[in-house]
Amino acid sequence: MECRHVSYHYPRQKSGLTALSGELPTGKITTIIGPNGAGKSTLLQLLARQLLPQSGEIRLADQPLTHWTTKQLAQRVAMVTQHHQLYDELMVQEVVAMGRLPYHNLWQTVPFHEVQPYLAQTGLLALADQFMQDLSGGQQQRAWLAAALAQEPAVLLLDEPTTYLDVHYQQTLMTQLQSLAAKGMTVVQVLHDINQAFQVSDWLWLLNDGRLAASGTPAQLRDPQLLERVFNTTVEVVTVPRFGPYIVQLPN
Amino acid sequence: MKQHAGWWYTGILGLLLVTIVLAMMVGTTWLGIAQIFRAVTRPASSDFTTVFTLRVPRILSSLICGGSLAVAGALFQAVFRNPIADPSILGVSAAANFFKLGGALLLPAMWGRNWFFALGGGLVALAILTSGRALADPYRLIIVGVALDATFVGLQQLLSSGATQISSSTFNGMTWSETTVLLILGVIGLIGALLIAPWANYLKLTDMALSHVGVPVSVIRWSLLLLGMYLAVSVTAVVGAIPFVGIVVPNIARRLVGHDYQTVLPFSMLAGAWLMLAADTLGRTVISPSEISAATMMAIIGGPFVILLLQRGRGFYGMSTR
Repeated sequence: MECRHVSYHYPRQKSGLTALSGELPTGKITTIIGPNGAGKSTLLQLLARQLLPQSGEIRLADQPLTHWTTKQLAQRVAMVTQHHQLYDELMVQEVVAMGRLPYHNLWQTVPFHEVQPYLAQTGLLALADQFMQDLSGGQQQRAWLAAALAQEPAVLLLDEPTTYLDVHYQQTLMTQLQSLAAKGMTVVQVLHDINQAFQVSDWLWLLNDGRLAASGTPAQLRDPQLLERVFNTTVEVVTVPRFGPYIVQLPN
Repeated sequence: MKQHAGWWYTGILGLLLVTIVLAMMVGTTWLGIAQIFRAVTRPASSDFTTVFTLRVPRILSSLICGGSLAVAGALFQAVFRNPIADPSILGVSAAANFFKLGGALLLPAMWGRNWFFALGGGLVALAILTSGRALADPYRLIIVGVALDATFVGLQQLLSSGATQISSSTFNGMTWSETTVLLILGVIGLIGALLIAPWANYLKLTDMALSHVGVPVSVIRWSLLLLGMYLAVSVTAVVGAIPFVGIVVPNIARRLVGHDYQTVLPFSMLAGAWLMLAADTLGRTVISPSEISAATMMAIIGGPFVILLLQRGRGFYGMSTR
């Protein structure tokens, strides 16, 4: 996936994206980081074609994103958003079955055997018949991830996927994303925790003020001066035993 | 589907059967089961006329109207994601009624006039309901709907003042030809509703989540909405506006058989049919030989129900699940 001079500005608002160009490497985890209002979520929405660029284009498999029909796109790009909402009762397996809809027409029902592998993959088999409303935030998040995986996407977009998760499951999720990437899936996520981003990503996009301030491997971007400029705060990189380099924000 | 759903289905079917038999028996002249059986075999008798010309069409009409209105309500609730949305409270039925009356004054000789004009009214109401910001805001939706309802009821009164009472929403005096029209319109709509019931489940997700999995949200929303409107308007065209069936029945159905629309819709159909028949039968017996119209009966039952639902439930936003 690739952005070419992508611009998007909300009407009557300063924030947005300006002439953003860059590559999201295939089969790698790319994490988008940057201060609030840098345009991270906007970028994710553009990648999911929820928004259309006002200029420039986003390309997927050497085709502009607009080339695909909604259904074709749903077979290639899946998104786990930050705010999930249900208007009424649904069972876990029904939510995951929604992820199979790109492979069925509207008259067909999704058979359970199609849903099963994704429930197993996310450790939700035992909860298949539970109602979403009865699950913890973390379990719900896993169900939404299972639904996204059921789309068998080439590109998986995640907006703040660790928000509702405890430390243990954050770790599990990141391992899971790494194994998906190892199988060739392009994973693109927005994270707030810079250290987590540096730790789990193959590639980083550093957004600032709607522009791509820098992109590269975590080792390339672990530059205190660059981070200070983007996040407008004093930082220092320290080395934590058994962890490695750790970015610390210092009081100004 | 809840585990007890099967029992509730059996229960409502039994209730329906008993009420149908009762409704054939009661009236200005009481007929025992033996008399009804005798009437069947002797087409010339006066009992035959009572049963087959007066009571059976009335029973069939109230069954089909109740089923249609309950399903229409459930469809509206799925589309508007609001537990008290229904064609009567949102002014769709009132608009249909007003247009029907207008049609009677403008083109008295037109074929199928009542239905076509009522459908026009329903479309106008839907256009108003879906054009502004009401779709995104459940509170605004209900207030716009109530205002729309009041406006069309007012307009209708303006139009009918001076004329003799034209629409009183009663099953009194239902003829076989009216009943046939209702049956044809109703059965088509109800079969359609059962076929697209899974789509109603899709709308439990947000539009954004649906578009992520490639579901054409507008197509399913408008299919469900137009079908619900068609069902409600068909009842209005033949009988008149009857309030609250579409709110009371689906909400009870969810309590009893769960929230899956593939179960809620068929159950609502049966329960709505029963409620309408029970209300009408009660209405024509309690102050016999005079009678209370089905619309009045439903207002008396439905009004307090909605008040209870909102005062004790979670409100407009999303369906109360526990």
